[in-house]
Amino acid sequence: MSILSTDLLSKNFDTPAGSVHAVRNISLDIQQGECLAIVGESGSGKTTLANMVLGILAPSAGEIYFDGELLPSKRSKVQRKAIQLVQQNPLSSLNPKRSVGASVRLGLDTYNMGARSNRWSVVEHALESVGLPSEMRHRAPSTLSGGQRQRISIARALACEPKLLVLDEPTSALDVLVQARVLRLLNELRKERALSYLFITHDLAVVRNVADRVAVCQAGEIVELGDTEQIFTAPEAAYTRSLISAVPVVDNDEMALRNKLASRE
Amino acid sequence: MSALLDIKDLKLGFNTLAGYVDVLKGINVSIKPGEKVALVGESGSGKSVTARIILGLLQEHRDALVSGDVQFNGQNINTLSPKDRASLRGKDISMIFQDPTSSLNPVFTIKKQFLEVLSRGDEKLSRKSRVDRATQLLGTVSITDPKRVLNSYPFQLSGGMNQRVMIAMALANHPKLLLADEPGTALDVSVQAQTLSLMRDLVTQNNTAVLFISHNLGVVREFADRIYVIYKGNIVEDGPTHCIFNNAQHPYTRALLAAVPRITGTGLPDVPEVSDEFLAPYVGHMQVS
Repeated sequence: MSILSTDLLSKNFDTPAGSVHAVRNISLDIQQGECLAIVGESGSGKTTLANMVLGILAPSAGEIYFDGELLPSKRSKVQRKAIQLVQQNPLSSLNPKRSVGASVRLGLDTYNMGARSNRWSVVEHALESVGLPSEMRHRAPSTLSGGQRQRISIARALACEPKLLVLDEPTSALDVLVQARVLRLLNELRKERALSYLFITHDLAVVRNVADRVAVCQAGEIVELGDTEQIFTAPEAAYTRSLISAVPVVDNDEMALRNKLASRE
Repeated sequence: MSALLDIKDLKLGFNTLAGYVDVLKGINVSIKPGEKVALVGESGSGKSVTARIILGLLQEHRDALVSGDVQFNGQNINTLSPKDRASLRGKDISMIFQDPTSSLNPVFTIKKQFLEVLSRGDEKLSRKSRVDRATQLLGTVSITDPKRVLNSYPFQLSGGMNQRVMIAMALANHPKLLLADEPGTALDVSVQAQTLSLMRDLVTQNNTAVLFISHNLGVVREFADRIYVIYKGNIVEDGPTHCIFNNAQHPYTRALLAAVPRITGTGLPDVPEVSDEFLAPYVGHMQVS
């Protein structure tokens, strides 16, 4: 069953220089429990698409269905709670003046989840579920490492018990060792909780290892959409091939794959 | 061939409100003329401060304690006067930063900034010949409409374009050493790949030595002749690029290599973020020269 689907979704921005088509007629769907990656360069429309899915931006045209129902332009709390966001830079996305526990709790208060007296224990449980000690709720974001902060962002999103997580470049600000841990955590959480992910990134090597399907975006349109395996072994679009061949590679198997794709240019 | 840059037992500490912090614990790095060397490590490992010491900036910082030898072209940067150090910057040693758009001045046009760089190299150069030279240099970084670029402000250009402007400026005065601190990490992978290969071609033509700082081993593989791996203020392993990639010995280097996600889809490796093993002693590979 599909948890999210978009039907001919478009977004135009009016600028002094004329209308800019940030997203053009994008139709895609995410199945229950699936991780769909959106890849593309800056300006390809991937974040605009995410903002429409989250209800931050109203589409210029097209429709979004969630869990079988059409999402209105003004969403109810229940509808907003079901789709949560993890942003790229955890330092700027967590309020520096608030303890991390208070940040995690904000969603619970906003959506009025459970008994008020029970909410701190929900917060502590959320921290533990991302591998952090529950006492950490008293700390300020500035006292934590990048990896810890990103775990807090994930805990904050999960505390709202969403069905879909929108992950906007969740690991691109992290060191490689930390990135590997956070990606493993995201994979485990998805399996445990039957979550669905909309994973936005420009890093194809990450996509290869976390996504079930991939949509490749260029200038606001999907140029290729398919199973991850197929996109990486037999990409149809020249643009997809050029993106894959730009990925810095570490071992000889990767080099062989890159050369194979380059020879098809 | 004698070294262009020879760092011996370099130590750095900061006096902070919370007490003394040890940042570099005695590192040795040497770069020959024209050699492309990478310094790889995670955030906080001490790689960017090393670049700032080579530029002579931290020696003038009130709370920084620098000791050891930084021999550049026969002079010790640590003991030079501030004035002599300043005269090296922008001429013999230049630098490229991570985010090209924020490292260019937003209130001046590219032309104004570029001409200033050129007059630093040669004060007597006339304005017209500097404009001609800037136009020609922008051509070498594959900018097809140098006139428009020169008259633009940095925010009017794309990140990739600004990066190429930065490369052209950094190489304008034929520096002997270029410091590149995570160049292009803020850019798209395809743009980063293009600008790196452009930079590699230019420094090879000009015989400029490069210290390339990065947190990602994958990025330096095609660029560097030699790699130093730094962890918590110590060099843990160094050697020619192929040795590091094919025969890494130190547990930290191995973890760094394992952690890079592969486009062949081999899964996400189970490597720890921190481990006591990473503190294992230094490993040096035989220098083939």
